[in-house]
Amino acid sequence: MGSIMIINGSPRAIKSNSKEYAAIFLKNCKCKTTYFNILKTNHHELCCKLKDFSDVLFVFPLYADALPVTLLNFLKTLEQNPPEKKPVISILINCGFLEYRQNDVAVEMMKLFCKQNGYRFGSVLKIGSGEAILNTPFKILVVRKIKQLSHSIVRAKYKTLHTRMTLTPKMFIRASTVYWTNYGKRNGLTKQQMETMNIEE
Amino acid sequence: MKLILSDVPLKIQIKNDEIKYVDLSSLNIANCMGCFGCWTKTPGKCVIRDDAVKVYPNIAKSDELLYVSRIKYGGYDSVMKTMLERAIPVQQAFIRLVNGETHHVQRAVSLKNAVIIAYACKQISDEEREVFKRLIARNARNMNFKHYRIMFTTKQQLEDIVANEVQKWEA
Repeated sequence: MGSIMIINGSPRAIKSNSKEYAAIFLKNCKCKTTYFNILKTNHHELCCKLKDFSDVLFVFPLYADALPVTLLNFLKTLEQNPPEKKPVISILINCGFLEYRQNDVAVEMMKLFCKQNGYRFGSVLKIGSGEAILNTPFKILVVRKIKQLSHSIVRAKYKTLHTRMTLTPKMFIRASTVYWTNYGKRNGLTKQQMETMNIEE
Repeated sequence: MKLILSDVPLKIQIKNDEIKYVDLSSLNIANCMGCFGCWTKTPGKCVIRDDAVKVYPNIAKSDELLYVSRIKYGGYDSVMKTMLERAIPVQQAFIRLVNGETHHVQRAVSLKNAVIIAYACKQISDEEREVFKRLIARNARNMNFKHYRIMFTTKQQLEDIVANEVQKWEA
C-alpha cells in the first residue's frame, strides 16, 4: 500500500471548503495520508516532499473557470523543481455552480500539466454545488464519492467520479439565493444591497 | 469603451482616446483571497484596495475587449489569471440560469466583443490550444462575451498581432 500526499490549492486554504473535503478524505482513507496547504512560502518544501509519496491528491476550487492562481503558481514551481520519483496525480475539484461539468476545463488543465511534465494522471472527483453542499443533507453524497475516490487511489484503480446536490436548477437557484442572502445578513446587508449594479461606486 | 489588458508591456501606438491600454505587469495586484467580501460585505468593491480596483470597473464597462496573455497548461498564465480572479466584484453572489446552466448574475457589465491572444515562446501544441478554446468558451458565459475570437501566436510576433487588432478598432 502506498502513501498519499493531499495538497490544498485553495486561496483560502485554512478556511476553505477544500480543507473540509480533504478532512473527509483523511477520515475515510485506509492508507498513510498527509495533508498540506499551499502557501506563498512553502512551494519548494512541498516539491521536496513529493518524492516520499506514491500519490498526490490536489484539492481545490474552480476559480474563474480554471485552476486558482495559488495552484497554478505552485505547479510552475513544481515544473522547475521536479521530484526524483514522480507520484500519480489525482484531483478533487469543486465549483459553486450546480453543474459538476463546469470543472471539466480545470481537469483538462491538470491533465495537460501531467502530460507536459511526465506524471501519470490518476483519479478525479468533480463536485458541483460545492460551496454549500457540506451544510446540507446532500453531504452524504459527497462523503460516499470521497470514499470511492480514496479506494480508487489506494487500489491504483483510477477513475473519474462526480457528484452534486440532486436539485433541479430552479430549486438550486432558490436554495442558493437563501444561502447568499443569509451570508450577507450576517454582515448586516440586505438582499437589495447585495444586488447593487454599481461597481466601485 | 475599448480595453486592452496585457500581461506584458506592448510597444503599440494608440491614436483613439476611446481605447484604454493596461499593462498588468506594471501593476500591484494581489491574489484573490476567496473571502466573498465583494459579494457579501462591500458589494461591487473588493476589500483588497490595490491596483486591481482600477482595472475591473474598466473590464465591466468595455464593450470591445482585447486580452493578451501567455498560455500555461492550456489557460491564462499567472499575471492575467490573477487579475481575472480579482474581477469577481463585477458579479453578484446570486445565481441565474444562462442557456440552462447556472451562472452568477452580472452587475453593470456591458456585453462584449472579445479578442483573446494567447502567446508562448515556442509553438503551442494542438492539445493546449483545444484546452484554451474550451476555457474561453466557458469565460464567454461567465464574463458576458457576446462574440469572441481566439488567436495563438509566438512572443516574437505578438506586437504585430496586437497592432493589427488595434488598427481594426481604429478603422
